[in-house]
Order: sequence, then C-alpha cells, then structure tokens
Amino acid sequence: MSRYQHLLAAAAALAVAGCAGQKVSEPAAASPPPAATATPPAPALNVPTEYYKLGNGLRVVLSEDHSVPLATVAVYYNIGFRIEPRDRTGFAHLFEHMMFQGSTNLGKMEFIKLVQTNGGVLNGSTRFDFTNYFEVVPSNTLETMLWAEADRMGGLNITQANLDNQNGVVQNEVKVNVLNRPYGGFPWLDVPQYANRNWYNAHNFYGDLKDLDAATLKDVLAFHETYYGPNNAVVVVAGDFDPAQARAWIEKYFAGIKGRPLPAQPDISEPPQTEERRASKVDALAPRPALAVAYHVPERWTPEWLAFGVIDQLLLQGEDSALTRKLVKERGYTDSVSGGINLLGNMFNYQGPMLWTAGLVHDSEHSTDQILADIDATIRQVQEQPVSAAEFDRALTKMRSQFYNVIGSASRFGMVDLLASFALFDDDPGRINGLDAQFRKVTPELIQQTARKYLVPSNRTVLTIEPGKAEGGKGAAP
Amino acid sequence: MRIASAVVLLSCGAAALAVETPPAPSAPKNFQVPAKSERALGNGLQLTFVEFGSIPKTTITAVVRAGNLNEGNNTWLADLTGELMKEGAGARSANQLAEAAASMGGAVNLSVGPDQTSISLDVLSEHGEEAVAMIADLLRRPQLPESELARIKRDFGRQLALSRSQPDSLANETFLALLYPNHPYGKLYPTDAQLAAYTIDQVRAFHHDNFGATRTHIYVAGRFERAKIERAIEQGFGDWAAGAAQLVNPPTGVSKRQIKLIDRPGAPQSTIYLGLPAIDPSQPEYLQLSLTNSLLGGEFSSRITSNIRESKGYAYSPQSSLDVQYRSGYWIEEADVTTEHTGDSLQEIYAEIDRLQREPPSPQELAGMQNYRAGVFVLQNATRGALIGQLAYMDLHGLPDDYLTHLVERIYAITPDQVGAAARKYIRPQEMTLVIVGDLAKVRPQLAKVPQLKGLSLQ
Repeated sequence: MSRYQHLLAAAAALAVAGCAGQKVSEPAAASPPPAATATPPAPALNVPTEYYKLGNGLRVVLSEDHSVPLATVAVYYNIGFRIEPRDRTGFAHLFEHMMFQGSTNLGKMEFIKLVQTNGGVLNGSTRFDFTNYFEVVPSNTLETMLWAEADRMGGLNITQANLDNQNGVVQNEVKVNVLNRPYGGFPWLDVPQYANRNWYNAHNFYGDLKDLDAATLKDVLAFHETYYGPNNAVVVVAGDFDPAQARAWIEKYFAGIKGRPLPAQPDISEPPQTEERRASKVDALAPRPALAVAYHVPERWTPEWLAFGVIDQLLLQGEDSALTRKLVKERGYTDSVSGGINLLGNMFNYQGPMLWTAGLVHDSEHSTDQILADIDATIRQVQEQPVSAAEFDRALTKMRSQFYNVIGSASRFGMVDLLASFALFDDDPGRINGLDAQFRKVTPELIQQTARKYLVPSNRTVLTIEPGKAEGGKGAAP
Repeated sequence: MRIASAVVLLSCGAAALAVETPPAPSAPKNFQVPAKSERALGNGLQLTFVEFGSIPKTTITAVVRAGNLNEGNNTWLADLTGELMKEGAGARSANQLAEAAASMGGAVNLSVGPDQTSISLDVLSEHGEEAVAMIADLLRRPQLPESELARIKRDFGRQLALSRSQPDSLANETFLALLYPNHPYGKLYPTDAQLAAYTIDQVRAFHHDNFGATRTHIYVAGRFERAKIERAIEQGFGDWAAGAAQLVNPPTGVSKRQIKLIDRPGAPQSTIYLGLPAIDPSQPEYLQLSLTNSLLGGEFSSRITSNIRESKGYAYSPQSSLDVQYRSGYWIEEADVTTEHTGDSLQEIYAEIDRLQREPPSPQELAGMQNYRAGVFVLQNATRGALIGQLAYMDLHGLPDDYLTHLVERIYAITPDQVGAAARKYIRPQEMTLVIVGDLAKVRPQLAKVPQLKGLSLQ
C-alpha cells in the first residue's frame, strides 16, 4: 500500500516476467545505475574474476564467493533491440520470450518449473545491446542450471501455438506498461525515438503491435541461428561453487555447441547533433504535463564519459543532487526529477550511442521554458565553477556505497551484469575492479570542460507530454 | 550418463532422439539465518542487532508503530507527516540532511505504511554512529516547517491526480473501500479538499501523539562496531519519552460476493482485483494458506499464471498474493487482461480456484513449490535490508523468536490435503469482492456470461 509513487523511477526493462516470480526484494537488474568507484581510505573490495574462452568462442566469467550458498548463472547474448531487423520492431524482445517456450530437451514451462522447483528465481530481459537470461539458485543446483542454459543455447523446439501465445503475452506487456497507463513510455521508450536520427537508435523497441503480429516461426528460428551462437555470448557464474568443477560442467554442456559466422554489425553511429530538438506528445491518460531533457553522452571509456558519470551524480542522483535541490525543493515544480545515463540499465551496460535523460511530471501552471531555464541555470553552475572537493567526494562516496550494494547483493544480479557487459563489450571483465581508479582520474577541470561541451542546447532533445484532457475538477493543485 | 556430444547432436535439429533429463542437484547446503541479539532501553525502545556479511556497510532502520491506522478519517495525514519530517530535523535543513546522508554513502529513506513509519539509512560502516544520530533527529526533533507544507501538499495533489489516472490504483482504492468500509485501511486516497485543508498543527499533533520510544524498534544489520553503535543509540534515544502505547484496531473485512465496475472507455485491458479477507501471519494455518497461494497464483510457475498467461496469453503479469497488516489480511488476485478476454480470464481464475478446492495438488507439484519457497528463503535472508525486513515482519505480527529457524521445515511439513483444505476454507469465490476497471461497454456483456457473477448487478 505504498501511497507515494514515483512514476518516472527506473523504467522497467523489457522483461519476460512481470511481477510474477519476482517477489524477492532484491535490486533487480534494471535498478538504477550501479555506478562504481572506491575512494581511499576504504578497503578496496576485490571481485574475483576468472575469464576464459571455449573453443567455440563462448566467453566464460567465473566469480567465486562463498558467503551465501547461492549461485547466479547469467547468459548474455550480444543482441539487443537496437539492432533488430528493420521491419520487425519489437522482435528482439518477442524472441526473448520465446527462449522460455521450449528447447531441445525442455518443453514449454519446463525451464521455468525446473528453476523454481529447484528453489531458484529467474528472468530475462532485452536491452539496447544485449539480451540476458539469469537464474539465482541454491548452489547445489548449479550443474542443472548450466545444463538448462546450454540446452536452449543449443536449440529451440517451439511451435506456432507457442509463438501465438507469447505474442499475446507481449502485447499485454505493452498494454500494461505503455498503452493503458499515463506516461507509459515516458521517457524511457519515447526519448530515444525523438533524440536519435539513425533508425537503429530511434525505433520503437517494444514494437508496433502489427509488427509483432507479423512475426513467423521461421523468423524466430532464424534469429536463434544468427544471434544465439556461443561465439556471440558470455556465460557468467557467480557465487558459491568450485571453479574447477564449474569449468568442467561448462565444457561438458556448452563446448559442443557450434559457433557460426556472425553477421556484420550494422552502423549504429548517430550523426552529430547540431541544433536543439523539441518534440511534444499528447497523452490522453496523463493528468499533468511532463518534461524530459536528453543529451547525447561521450563515448564509453573516454575521459569525458567518466566525467559524465560524476556529473550525473552531481546533478541528478540522490536528494542532495543539484537538480533535485533546484526543481523539487526550491521551485516546487515536481516531487521528483529522475533519470541517468541509459534508462534501461546503467552507464556501463551498453555499446554505442547513448543518452543522459532527466524527466519530471509538473503542474501546468509552470511552463516548459520556465523549467528549462532553471535546468540551464543549474547546469551552468557546473560549467562555470569548478566542483568543490566536498561535492566531488560526495559524488564518489555515493558511487562507492552503491557499488558495495551491487557486489554484496545476494542475487548478484548487478555484479553479474557488470561482469557480462565488460566481457561482451570490452573483452575484459576484470574492469570491474579498476573502476575506482578510473573515476579518481576525473578532475574538476575535466568536469567543467565536459559539461560545456555536452550539456548544451544544441546537443539535447526536449520532449514534453501534453495532457490530452483538460485539467480541473480532478486536480488538487491550488 | 549424459555426454556433451548428445547436446551437439540435438542442437543441430536432429529430431526423434531420446529427450535428455536434467542432471540432478547435489545435496543441499545448510543455510543459517544470521543470529540476532536483542535488548530494550529503559523507555521501552526495542533494539535488534545482526552482525552480518563482509561488505563494509551498515543499515539502520527505525520502525515506528505510526501509520495510516492512526489517521482516523484524516487520510494521508501520516504520509504528510512523514514527508515533512525530512524537511529539516535537529539543527539541519532538508538540504543539509540530504548532503550529510549522501556523505555517509546513503540517503534518508522514509516510508509510511498502514501500520508503520520507517526511517532507514544504509551507510558506509564508518558512518554508523552519525547515521544513528541523524535518525534520532528525524524521529525526535523534526522541524515540520510550515514553510514547506504548501509545496508538499501540491506534490501530494499531483501524485493523487496521477494515481487516479492509473487503472491499478483506481482498482486498489475501490477494492479496499469495499473490503474495509469503516476503517483507515479502506481509505487509500484522500479527497482533494481533505488534502488541501490539512494544517501544520494537525501534522505536528500527529507526530506528537504517535512517535515515541515504546512504539519504536531499531534494527542494525551489517558490519558495525557493536559497542559504539549501542552507545550512539543510548545517547540518541535513551531520554526519549515513552509516548502513547500503540493503537490496536484491526478491521473486520467484508466477506461477501460483491462487484464494482469502473468505466475506462477505450482501455485495451481490464484490470481485475478479486479477493476476500483472510487470516494474518499470527494464525496457525497462515503458512498453509501462504503455500496454497504460491501454488495457486503467487509465482511464475503457479496455476493461474500458467493458465491465463502461458496457456491463453490473456495477461502479462497476473499475480495472487496475501496482503497482511497487524491482525488482518486479505487474499487477492490482480490481473491486467486483454479487454476482449475479460470474462474468459475470470472464468479461468474461478476454475483454477475450484480445481484446487476439489482436488489436492499432487505430491510432486507441492514438493516443487516447497523447494521454491525453501530456496528463496536464503535470498530473503541474505542482505542487510532483506534481513531487517524479515525481522520487522516477525515483530509486527508477534511471531516467535525461532520462526525463521523452523520456517523451512514447517513449509516441508505441509501436505497436499492441507493445501486443498486451505483453498476450501480461505479462498471462497462466493464471498469475494470483485473490482474491474476497463471498457465497460465491452466488458459488461462478457460478465453477464460468467456463472459465478450470476445475480449481481453489473451496472
């Protein structure tokens, strides 16, 4: 009976399971950015990582930790909704659902039952540049889970009826998350469509319902053949296990799956933006206007990108952030301004162009331009004055504390997500242990420079939501 | 023996090979719930410590028995008080509190529920004592500044408008009003006029009347220096007035077949809330009912979800649950279903209830759900926040100290017949309240064909 809701908080990832089966109160993989760093004098916590590749190209990361008798298995495939086929919007996500519908040795519902009857939780999700599947299980069932993941990497065994069924489920997912609620795709699904020009970055990731209806069984099987080979994936095992034993099981169950040629990656680069983009959307269900600003961010692992991670903390993360202070506490435009780098994940788990987005719902008595002026004034402070040592420390402390939660979580979802992303996109999961040093290199000058270059109107998109019905009667605002 | 090459052959699409079975798990490992230690201060404030884990963080949560229950008819006065408590406490302003919390690696997390207000700080271990002092300020010395009241009320008004535009919030509000017509639990949202009329004096009085040592329980979990934290708590709370005893006023829920339809023209889905009053966790048969719920609709692999999602494709995330408060509770199935299949979905839900009532689950099906509950038990007790949540749940409902120690064995002791009996005794369709938010022009004709609704007015 939580009465106070944050509509814009952490957009749900496009996931196979909704609330069902996710009763464990753990930070889900789609929770706010598990950013990371460590400032001295705190003890540097080291995440053990063992990284190797099988003969068929499958990447494997093992991270041993016996604190709780659980093991987390995650399989990440390097295919996200960003590069799904052009005339098949929403296909990558629909396909994610099909991975639960039957594989070589597991019939429909059997995968889910196998995990749950062994005492585990599971889910899958589709993101910009990967699709992931994960289970958290009592550690004595690890071999069973590796077998099951290998089984569906090895091949699907599905019918037209399964496809029709999941088409219905996915369409209901779109309805419950987007169509039948106010601010349904705002800003997580909407903003990329207005802020980007390259189709790959700008299409509807959930998919048009008519495109979903057009998907065929043949498409599904071809998609598996093309993108779900071992050489396009990483398997991560974290938690309570014996590494030598895990290696043997992974060899036994995955090594025989054949690698195959991968198609050339499409060009997902985004042409440089030269002037501000403004867009407005009417939302018939929304009782109040809403506003989002989105800026293209620097390329991953550049010094500016690291600086942007710190800027995100300074401006937007936490009740002490500058935008919260200005827009919520001082001006009273809204009760919450939220967002970050990559609304469907965090600043680490993508590969390609990305946006930093901040969004809020406000009363109609305040105009978009009035609010934008305050956003600009807040940004200007970061551009014009070097950040103080105290503010910088606070930003890094927030990141460090959050990082501890990521690696200390019993489900290990967040940690496994970082390991998988660094393996898939950077071929180097060990980066999880170097993040602190990376952020420490950011200087106040670099923060100012980055803010001046990227946080400018010509690099941003402003999206507003206009209520489709006149206000009044229902509204409480005096 | 299973060999890797079998996987290869099968993966190439060769049909008609014998189906492999999954490798069996090895013997399960033991999991010990981390030990707790408890004491009380002279003024009645309860303390629980759990030293746990290797991550250098500490979570400190204060739970106060002050919630919506204590509002009477002043709906959201507890929420308004909670929100204003963050707007300055002790000598610090709201901004200073937010900055200080962030410098500790945390954030003030304050939430108001039906029975309780809780304040939590999850901080780097070296800041544990500071965090205790901040919580003492927030609970004992909130400024409750009048200057911020108008802004917070405007924020609440906006949230209220948003809630009223969401089908699940509307369904929830209506369902609770029908279930608890004369009780604060039945008033999910205030009217706009009510909200506008609240004064700072009412907020201050609510705080004064409901916050005190006897109603408060502080939990500390993680890595911390026990002696130092304990001293900080004694300093911060030792001289706090005991305050009034907690209010005991559990509602008697309405158990009767009733229906309320809310029109949402053009809605692509119908939001279904179907449920009835049930027992609370202090009752001997609660665990049996809880397992019955898991099997019927509580989990991804449960019967209702398998049926209306995985078989029929009518819904994405249907779920049943037991929602419990102090000495009261209800069972509910919530589902957002395709408008065209609203009647079908309801019939399938009723059919699954009926099937479980008529025929106990197979030992195999029950064992699967028992394994699941035993497995997630570890997850539910393996982080600071989760552990505190479990302990606070036990304390609210007055469960015995060894509740967690014996929970898994008690889950495994439940029999198929007990599940069938619990379904018959507690999940009674003929006494359920049904709320549907949807496109009534399309929904009504479908409902007219649902036998379980016969005789009810669908207007």
